[in-house]
Amino acid sequence: MSTVRYKTSPDPVSTDGRDIDRKIAELAGEAADQQASGAAGKHIEKQAGTWTQLPQPHAADPTYYDRPLLNESVWGWAIPTYYYVGGLAGASLALGAALELQHAAKFDRLIRRCHWIGFLGCCVSGALLVYDLGKPQRFLNMLRVFRPTSPMNVGAWILSGTSGASAAAFFFRQAGYAAGLFGMALATYTGVLVSNTAVPLWNASRKVLPVLFAASAVTSAGSLFELFDQDEDEARVTRAFGSVGKLAEIAASVIAEQHASQVARVGRPFQRGFSGFLWRTAAVLTAGSVVMNLLPRPTRGKRLASGILGTVGSLLMRFALEQAGNASARDPRASFHSQREPLAQ
Amino acid sequence: MPGQPQAAPVKGFFTDTTLCIGCKACEVACKQWNQLPDDGFLFTGMSYDNTAHLGASTWRHVAFIERPAPLHPQNEGAFSWLFSSDVCKHCARAGCLEACPTGAIIRTEFGSVYVQPDVCNGCGYCIVSCPFGVIDRREEDGRAWKCTLCYDRLRADMQPACAKSCPTESIQFGNLEDLRKQARERVEKLHSQGMREAYLYGESAASQPGTEGLHAFFLLVDKPEVYNLPPDPIVPTKTVKDAWTAMAAGALGIALAALGAAFFAHKNGAQS
Repeated sequence: MSTVRYKTSPDPVSTDGRDIDRKIAELAGEAADQQASGAAGKHIEKQAGTWTQLPQPHAADPTYYDRPLLNESVWGWAIPTYYYVGGLAGASLALGAALELQHAAKFDRLIRRCHWIGFLGCCVSGALLVYDLGKPQRFLNMLRVFRPTSPMNVGAWILSGTSGASAAAFFFRQAGYAAGLFGMALATYTGVLVSNTAVPLWNASRKVLPVLFAASAVTSAGSLFELFDQDEDEARVTRAFGSVGKLAEIAASVIAEQHASQVARVGRPFQRGFSGFLWRTAAVLTAGSVVMNLLPRPTRGKRLASGILGTVGSLLMRFALEQAGNASARDPRASFHSQREPLAQ
Repeated sequence: MPGQPQAAPVKGFFTDTTLCIGCKACEVACKQWNQLPDDGFLFTGMSYDNTAHLGASTWRHVAFIERPAPLHPQNEGAFSWLFSSDVCKHCARAGCLEACPTGAIIRTEFGSVYVQPDVCNGCGYCIVSCPFGVIDRREEDGRAWKCTLCYDRLRADMQPACAKSCPTESIQFGNLEDLRKQARERVEKLHSQGMREAYLYGESAASQPGTEGLHAFFLLVDKPEVYNLPPDPIVPTKTVKDAWTAMAAGALGIALAALGAAFFAHKNGAQS
């Protein structure tokens, strides 16, 4: 990989940004192996796009030219999508296990559906996670250690376990119980993953995010089931399951915002900008979905509307949280204030 | 144990910002020794700092602070320069290391924090776990990179390239214990010379409990924020118990919702 610089000069140079001629030099430094194209990459776009207005010196509340303190996450669309899909799979498997406990033949089709959604969800989750890696071919390195200090490592094991158990459930129904337990962990560990960061907004709401993720997972599963053709018994289960999730999701998102906003600057992305818009839209859609559930005389139209609103709502919530976290990582004062205000008390 | 590498004394940096003249020799020496590619070229418009921030291909960064306040002994009236060469802090308790899901990030025999490029799979979790915004992923490369404390040079009994090149000894390298002693003496000396603002940033676990002390610590003369350093950084795993507890509550909630819904539908269905 290299780019040609000084193209208009009589002597253009082909470089990867090291200005070392690889034909005559031996590259053996610690970063010799770092792949570079020599073209101005995302790093420069990120740095250049930081300012929207000239920084003003502020003696009482200083920053370094309003530059970010933290490096914001490099995760793309696949990661919030994974939070949704993993939550969906986990909550479905948990519902499947709970239905299995009722020992009622009328739920057999729904249980099978739970297992299918769980299994396919795990496959999609794995694909999304591998896709987002910088080195996708090294995805198995996730399982070369067991490291409880890293929620991501714990999560890799949980996802592996859930995949295995949900596949086994097709052959042995008893495995559905194990899949349900794994599913509960799969739907919630992502909340710990996000909380366990230096990103001020995520870290400040760490006591709520795993609960919010759990509630959103229940919403996702309940909403998706409503899009299928269901008989009355099945519809009753999924409507009850989904409604609880939706109400809990709205409550948890309000509390998460309160926790983050204990330091005003930290919670700001929940209220302002694109992330604030997504966050509020998600809550409105979820509320709309629960209203559709609770309206008297359920019809197919209401069920579909509820399913679509709930699905889009919980998906948007994951993206809103991602955007809000990135916005707070870009704001140096979010970190500074969250560390100063406890000191001042 | 035979075959086990002998633990060397813990090594580190003491960066005395009062001696820094902003020459950026450390930035250049680091790039050249480690054979780091450039980041592209950007005119930031902020003082003489066009490096802007530490990143995947920038392991030393000199901050240029134009301060509208006097500083003895700079005789510029209500203006003073501050320079500071920033680097990975090699925290005694490192957020990146604890977050790494593959074990690519390790603690070396010198006490430094090292990313093994042949193991890193570029998940990006260390990036959001560093409270200093040090480690980053290079897009074309796909892996996370940061200062290695010149691991290759240390193994050959040499000091890191930045410290070697520093013309004013603003960057001092050595055994961490010795550096701490030197740093305390330096602060006392500055105080006696009238620079009362001088203090040490992150030199011990007591002064920075959130990271349990930095192996690369600093002497500063203004608030840490002025240098783009966090005033009280906390490694995320210090508070992660809250989140695991909340996860247990969330999982329990899912179980109750599932059992409740199944039970409710079963009972009501049986009646109708």
